Amino acid sequence: MGLKCFAVVALALLAGCATSPPPPEPGSAASKVMATGPIENVAIGPMRMARENGFLTVNTQLSNTDTDNRTLYYRYLWMGPEGFPVADADTWKSLTLYAGQTSFLPAIAPVPQAVDFRLEINTP
Amino acid sequence: MNRPHKHMPLFARVSCIALAALLIGGCADNRSPVLGRGNISYGDPKAVELVTNEFGSTDLQMIAESMTRSLAQSGVLKGRPVVQVYDVMNKTSEYIDTREITTSIKTQLMRTGTARFASDNTNMQSQVDHLKLQNQSGLYKKSTVAKTGNMIAARYRLEGSISSIIKRSNDYKDVFYKFSLQLVDVESGLAEWMDEKEIRKTTER
Repeated sequence: MGLKCFAVVALALLAGCATSPPPPEPGSAASKVMATGPIENVAIGPMRMARENGFLTVNTQLSNTDTDNRTLYYRYLWMGPEGFPVADADTWKSLTLYAGQTSFLPAIAPVPQAVDFRLEINTP
Repeated sequence: MNRPHKHMPLFARVSCIALAALLIGGCADNRSPVLGRGNISYGDPKAVELVTNEFGSTDLQMIAESMTRSLAQSGVLKGRPVVQVYDVMNKTSEYIDTREITTSIKTQLMRTGTARFASDNTNMQSQVDHLKLQNQSGLYKKSTVAKTGNMIAARYRLEGSISSIIKRSNDYKDVFYKFSLQLVDVESGLAEWMDEKEIRKTTER
């Protein structure tokens, strides 16, 4: 009996370890973020997407949850209706977030054909 | 004379050739399309360049990106107007190829499809020379010759400047760049759009 219980608990633990977090829902803010590694001490907040004068404009809220200043690198990628890039990727940019600071990353698409975006983030 | 001992049998010869080919093939690394083994590598042209704190590729790219998108999205360029680009004035103490900034801005604006560009001051001489060549040399078939007096005048001119403030102490070197760009209506002389990009780079010694 004891052995059976142990086996059940071990299986449950193994299953728990193997379960990866569910993929982000399509269209959600999380689905727009492409991290090139673990994002540490930076919280990604709401994202705003609009079309102004024919160009897609985006703004993303970022917060430093650490008690030290943090530098991160980011860039936007611009997608067409088929989900593929419609322009070269943006230049990587550096951003310093002071301890506990919340900041915004505004961007404008390089071509009117862009209908969606991805935010690539690297926290060194 | 017949000297059979000097000739290898056919099987042995084929085997030797096959072995040599295998050895040569085995030694050459044919898994990678790379020639040479130097200390050289290709990098990401869009990477953040922090080699020194002088004006660099990331500064050029960020300025061009920011200015182009701000102008294209501003809504000023309605109906694909003709724009003439002037050189950016370099007010810094560094040598900066400001023509590369304007070339990048022109290229990226062209990709947006929001503007057309008249010959700027550097291209104008080539344009005039070629028109003269077509019209005055007698070399070309008349029906194909570009007529003079049909060049399109610019509705706007795009001009800008880059300046810097440099501060040094025993511990720090701080460089602050400010790039300004404006779009001026040639007829009215009014600035219809203006934007600027600020960049700070600090080196701790």
